[in-house]
Amino acid sequence: MRRVALLLLFWLTPAFADEHLVSGLSQDTIEIRANYNGAEITVFGAVERPDTEKPNVIVVVRGQEQDMRVLRKERVAGIWINRSRVLLRAMPSYYFVAGNRPLDRIAARDVRSRYAFGLDAVKPHGLKADDQPEPFREALIARMQRDRLYVQQEDGVEFLSGTLFRVRVPVPSTAPRGTYVADVYLLRDGKVVDTKSSDLVIDQIGVERQLYDFSRSRPLLYGVATVLIAMLLGWASSLMFRRAE
Amino acid sequence: MEIYLPIAGMSVHWLTILGLGAAIGFLSGLLGVGGGFLLTPFLIFLGLPSPVAVATTASHITASSMSGALTQWRKRAIDLKMAAVMTLGGLAGTGSGVWLFGILRRAGQMDVVVSASYVVILGFIGTLMLRESLATLRATRAASAPLSTRTQHVWIHGWPLKARFPASRLYISVLPPLGIGFLVGALSAILGIGGGFMVVPAMIYLLRMPTNVVIGTSLVQIIIVAAATTILQAVNNHAVDAMLALFLVIGGVIGAQLGVRLSSRLSGEQLRLILAVIVLAVAVRLCFGLVVRPDEIYTVTVAP
Repeated sequence: MRRVALLLLFWLTPAFADEHLVSGLSQDTIEIRANYNGAEITVFGAVERPDTEKPNVIVVVRGQEQDMRVLRKERVAGIWINRSRVLLRAMPSYYFVAGNRPLDRIAARDVRSRYAFGLDAVKPHGLKADDQPEPFREALIARMQRDRLYVQQEDGVEFLSGTLFRVRVPVPSTAPRGTYVADVYLLRDGKVVDTKSSDLVIDQIGVERQLYDFSRSRPLLYGVATVLIAMLLGWASSLMFRRAE
Repeated sequence: MEIYLPIAGMSVHWLTILGLGAAIGFLSGLLGVGGGFLLTPFLIFLGLPSPVAVATTASHITASSMSGALTQWRKRAIDLKMAAVMTLGGLAGTGSGVWLFGILRRAGQMDVVVSASYVVILGFIGTLMLRESLATLRATRAASAPLSTRTQHVWIHGWPLKARFPASRLYISVLPPLGIGFLVGALSAILGIGGGFMVVPAMIYLLRMPTNVVIGTSLVQIIIVAAATTILQAVNNHAVDAMLALFLVIGGVIGAQLGVRLSSRLSGEQLRLILAVIVLAVAVRLCFGLVVRPDEIYTVTVAP
């Protein structure tokens, strides 16, 4: 028993003695209000007890996973119609990755694919054998990049000193509500040696929240209310313009 | 200033949607169409999710049609009896349209069916209206005498179940308006629109109603269809964005009033010509989209 404990201690000590990470977020919630137009959060941290060499850091922020359907149009009898479709399971609704240097120079190829470092490594789960998903996956990633929901910044992690770093993470207004995870990785010789994780919650508050809840909890009343307000405004405008004449 | 749309889950500049609402409302008041066939594609172009665009368009149509219809009502330019008959047919048509919608969607290719039917219907109606209104305008200019279509009778007028429609000065069978209402209702459910651009030409060319009564009557029918659609969309899809609706509606009712003002200054032939050109333009644009290689071959949606 004592031997086991001793062994365990030997096995664990290097982790404490070696370089490791501390990190945090500038804010752990983003509140969506009436004039919300996206946000920017800062992930910051420090490398404790760094080796002599400059440390390498990769930051990944992910939204909740969702299934995405990608359709491809093909020409049939002169008309472009949706011909083939692929369901890409468990793709992140938001994905941000940044390193202090280009990712392929920080992390080995197998490490990049295991930890999903970089847009090339963001892959769907549970594909069937006969699926040919690659062009569909690329189309999805291109689309998400255009919508600024998938972002890759090769030099986004900025070292303020030998040990202190930060990265600015832009969150567009279209990023869905939910709990996001910000992971910070410390790498050495292409391998991950330490990681820290923090949660980020994006949620609506105030009138927006109440409207959203109302539309879900009492949909019939919500629909009738919308129609009544629309009719009322229509009536008011016809009255107002008659007076103006 | 950007405002956040809680159901759509994104922000848009308020002036953009106010202006869009006003432009579509203007057409609605001017021509007696709901404008859904223009507003929905524009909202999708702005980046709104298509269920939200379709559903919220319905609330905008309710408001601008209400605004226009009330003004027409004061001008006594509504045939309520005709509107009631057509709405009756329309509600039955909407029911069967929703059923057909389900079948088409299960077969896939929903959007191709929608685009292709748009091209055929819009192209047909647009060409018909353009030829007729141009011919009438030329004839009026040449003879400088108003050409009345009111007393002309069409074969379908002689069907059984005749009824008097005093506001339209017609004594015709109720079957044609019922049938038109039914067909338009069914097509509306499939295409996701109010159907005014189909009702107006049908009233003019098939029922031979006077153009000045057509616009108000069509608006009354559209109010009922659009209000029902809004409520159904809110209940079934939770897709009506009240914040988006508010700004669209405020723009829409102002635009609608301006449109109604202008419509009373233009002749029936001129109004028909404008509608014909818009309808044809949309048809050509959609036809283009079907035939020309699209910029984006892939479509990405969140799977439910």
